[in-house]
Amino acid sequence: MKVSLNWLSDYIDLPTSDPTELSDIFANLGHEVEGVEILEPQFRDVVIGKVLTVQPHPNADKVRLCSVDTGDGPTDIICGAWNFEAGATVPVAVPGAILGEDFLITQRDIRGVTSNGMICSAKELGLGEEADGIMVLAEDLPIGTPFVDHIELPDVVFDLAITPNRPDAMSMVGLARELAAHFEITYRVPSPVLGDTTGEMDLRVDIEDDRCRRFVAREVRGVEVRPAPTWMSQRLVKAGVRSISNIVDVSNYVMLELGQPTHAFDRDKVADGHIVVRAATEGETLVTLDGTERQLTPEDLLVADIEQASSLAGTMGGLESEVSDSTTNVLIECASWDPPTVMRMSRRHGLRSEASARFERGVDPNLPPLAADRMAEMIAAHAGGSIVGGMVDNYPEPVEPQVLSLAISEVHRILGIHLSRAEVAGLLARLNFAVSPGGRGDDDIEVAVPTNRPDVTRPIDLIEEVARLHGFDNFPSRVPTGGNGGLSAEQLRLRTLRWVARGAGFSEAHTSTFSGHADLAMLALPADDYRSRTIEVKNPLRDEESIMRTTLIPGLLGSARFNIAHGADSVALFETGKVFFNQESPELGTVPDQPDVFSFVAVGSMGPGDVAEGGRPVDVFAGMALWRSIVDQMGLGSYEIQQAEIPGLHPGRGALIVLEGGPIGHIGELHPAVARAFDLDGRVLVGELDLNPLVADPGIWSFAEPSVFPSSEFDLSFDVATTTPAAALAAEASKAGGELVESVEVFDEFLRGDSKAVGLRVRIRASDRTLTADDVADVRTKVTGAVTASTGANLRGA
Amino acid sequence: MQLEIEAQRAAANLSLPMDELEQVATSAPSLIGAAQSLEELKAAETELLGKNSVIAQKRRGLGGLDPADRPTVGAKINEVFAAIQATLNDRKRQLEIIEENVLLVGDRVDVTVPHVRSRLGTQHILTTVMDEVSDIFVSLGYQVATGPEVETAWYNFDALNTPSSHPARAESDTLYVDFGDPADEMLLRTQTSPVQARYMQQHEPPVHVVVPGRVFRSDSLDATHSPVFHQVEGLVVDTDITFADLKGTLEYFARTFFGADRVIKLIPHFFPFTEPSAEMHVSCFVCDGSGCRVCSNSGWIELMGCGMVDPNVFEAVGYDPSKVSGFAFGMGVERLAMVRHGITHIKHFFENDLRVLGQFV
Ligand SMILES: [Zn+2]
Repeated sequence: MKVSLNWLSDYIDLPTSDPTELSDIFANLGHEVEGVEILEPQFRDVVIGKVLTVQPHPNADKVRLCSVDTGDGPTDIICGAWNFEAGATVPVAVPGAILGEDFLITQRDIRGVTSNGMICSAKELGLGEEADGIMVLAEDLPIGTPFVDHIELPDVVFDLAITPNRPDAMSMVGLARELAAHFEITYRVPSPVLGDTTGEMDLRVDIEDDRCRRFVAREVRGVEVRPAPTWMSQRLVKAGVRSISNIVDVSNYVMLELGQPTHAFDRDKVADGHIVVRAATEGETLVTLDGTERQLTPEDLLVADIEQASSLAGTMGGLESEVSDSTTNVLIECASWDPPTVMRMSRRHGLRSEASARFERGVDPNLPPLAADRMAEMIAAHAGGSIVGGMVDNYPEPVEPQVLSLAISEVHRILGIHLSRAEVAGLLARLNFAVSPGGRGDDDIEVAVPTNRPDVTRPIDLIEEVARLHGFDNFPSRVPTGGNGGLSAEQLRLRTLRWVARGAGFSEAHTSTFSGHADLAMLALPADDYRSRTIEVKNPLRDEESIMRTTLIPGLLGSARFNIAHGADSVALFETGKVFFNQESPELGTVPDQPDVFSFVAVGSMGPGDVAEGGRPVDVFAGMALWRSIVDQMGLGSYEIQQAEIPGLHPGRGALIVLEGGPIGHIGELHPAVARAFDLDGRVLVGELDLNPLVADPGIWSFAEPSVFPSSEFDLSFDVATTTPAAALAAEASKAGGELVESVEVFDEFLRGDSKAVGLRVRIRASDRTLTADDVADVRTKVTGAVTASTGANLRGA
Repeated sequence: MQLEIEAQRAAANLSLPMDELEQVATSAPSLIGAAQSLEELKAAETELLGKNSVIAQKRRGLGGLDPADRPTVGAKINEVFAAIQATLNDRKRQLEIIEENVLLVGDRVDVTVPHVRSRLGTQHILTTVMDEVSDIFVSLGYQVATGPEVETAWYNFDALNTPSSHPARAESDTLYVDFGDPADEMLLRTQTSPVQARYMQQHEPPVHVVVPGRVFRSDSLDATHSPVFHQVEGLVVDTDITFADLKGTLEYFARTFFGADRVIKLIPHFFPFTEPSAEMHVSCFVCDGSGCRVCSNSGWIELMGCGMVDPNVFEAVGYDPSKVSGFAFGMGVERLAMVRHGITHIKHFFENDLRVLGQFV
């Protein structure tokens, strides 16, 4: 809400006009200041003129020759605008005037005629964006007086962000009330003087829908629709509202002044003098002010006559019933609507307005009579006509101030400050809350909450008001103790996992949680793959973000591609994050399965190495190296790397990782076709592992005493089928060798025609003695026998 | 006469070896000192102590001496031998150092030339900031909790006192997913606060918890908004928690995260789940409050929303609001990082540009 300080001063005599000081006060009252505009006149020596005659220019078609009185008798001015005729009151920059910084107005010859100044548009005067025509001012401005005297400059305009719980602060009077509470001074509410009225109102209003809480109407007859007075239109412009005509401007003015949105109908278009407030019927339509035909539903609330809809309640008027230039009799509507109804209507129809912003928050249902009187008074003052006697007031269930009981001890319990009963009562009284002793105990007070504060319904809301007026700056500080906190084992291990991945050369990435079906298609996943069980976003921002990710790999590949495109030779990234899986007929209210995974990708080369050498080219073994580091650094239990064909991966370079007997994910190289789909060249390492088994708390580990006795090692070389994994030989050797075996490593593997050679290095050691030659021979025999028997391998050189 | 001759012989036999040994002992240091390499030193050693040396000869001649003289002469031989040996060792150490120094000069490299390096990865700044913020609160005795990102409307809104008519629930603000019925039930959490509700349902007070995590809004990408971003929220509930505790805690946080000289101010605000509610501003750590670009010349940086937990939230999770009170706060992680490090656009957190990731230390 934009607040002109000059306008605000109609309602309160502020002890300061310092913009910074007032900004701080507004902020400390809870009304955030989003901007402060210091307005100075952008012109000098512009005066009020009256256009006496308008004639064609003898030598030009696009401009006209005007005779204008600027206080010293008629003078000729050439003007290019066409939005006025003789009789108009206009701002005139006379010779010697300056517009903007330094545009000097002089006598000029325009096609053979001397022009003695310039009639100005709002834009030329720095008063708005309106540049199509000159400003046509109210007729009663005295000719020859300085224009600046009529537009309330200089001024300061505060742009306040009023929070959604404070409808009462959406008006000049409401903000005056807030400042009055702060300064502990008085403020003024307009009290309309209607004077003599003519006749009695003859209008019937039926409320057929309880979403209308009150409907007040007044009538003014014999008005003349014309521009509003200049001071009023300028106040509206400063508030960010366009000036239209006296009737519409008064309606907006009263809304900004009091906070009550109002609506002006052409009284003669209300059929039979009978207004019905009702729900729209299915399929009903209404052409609104903006010329759009609205399709209505029973959710929409209407003000109608007995024949047709006139307006969308609290949201926008209808074109048909609107006040036009020919209107002479005006019907004023001041109503109170159910806030959620207006919110839904304004959203459904895309009609957010100053009026709907107020009704959404909840306008005081006891405000309409004042607003109706104020509007009638101002219409009569600025559009002529006479006010019709009486007021229609249909108010089915009058709202009374709510009385709340507040224990002073609660103020201390929540706020931590000691305020006496008198102090609390004093703070609340500043906001016009009526405070009296009473309630359950001596400690209690009873507070009647004004009906303009729908946000205050509970004792805690009163405590909030006490805190606000006491001032948050005046609270003490204390740091509570007594928590029994710390990171869990899983949280600490997650940090270790990230540390291991970084140590292996992978940088941490954060990719989007959203994915698209195209990403999964590029991964070439079969329909029955678990990653195809996607959850759709109902209202995605973009097609590429229409599903929840089931894998982090496409996002990481996208980041890899981004880096390659920006000149990187090598990329190695990892991420930990959630993936989301759909399921058949989920249980109501249960969130979907959304486990965390640890994923990584790499392209190019990695690992230590000369800059010139660029490290080791990336392949599946870079992934296995990372896996081994994780196993070692995180103390994981027994695992297995199983050669496997994984969808999306190279058929011969993929592995299933099995931990403690269960598969936890895969590591491999992308299938070349998939890599091409992601626009990546060369071998692309990917891996995705369930996070939970990696970070799960393994409990306390126990110490293993290192043997003081020397070890012995021997190598065995086997011929075996190419399809038999070397790991199977090593596992068998380890198992068969018994407890003397300390380690079995595959130290060599190479193809030899139809079979391959696998070299195993077996290290043995006893914990209680030095090994003998017999020990070594015994293990060697057992290992050889078991490996050959179980894998069909042959010992080479045997 | 005979006796005299015997005595003279004995004196001659005795005095002759002793003189020679003295002579060797006197001349040895200069001989050893003259050796300019370990090789020359070896030659000197051979000359002084080798089998043809005076000392070796004398040692061999000991047996021919009068038994009475042997101990004296033997002792002298050993004394001279030890002295020479010590001098040889000293010189050897000197020569070794000299020779090694020569080798080291030849072994010199230009250490400014880039060579083999470990190529470690970096931690993402969002993780760093979330860990850092969490750790500040862990040091105050908080636990760290996490929760689902696809969440029910009940936990994200209803439990947090956000009425069904609240505009934040509209599809223009909140992203919904197709998962079960009814269709408006399952959404992408718009805040980490639902984790607070879940945590309170599962734990009795006192509660000291901080919740880092990813959240979602129906916002299109611009310099400071992204549909995916991160928050850290905190919640403390106990029998005597007041607004003063909230203020003190946020002061502690601001000073730990941004520096000891920071001050904060709380400005009244509105959130459905807290009452009273406030926005926390911290004095600008760049200009110290005098105004600069970072703080838009205000001297203050808006950092987070906070307030006292609304009684309706306690009721929704089964706490008795007449017995416990608490405060909650929540801050944007991207905003913290952007403010502290001067990061210009929120896209830098999600593009994973190595030139950006490499700066995240
Ligand atoms: Zn600053």
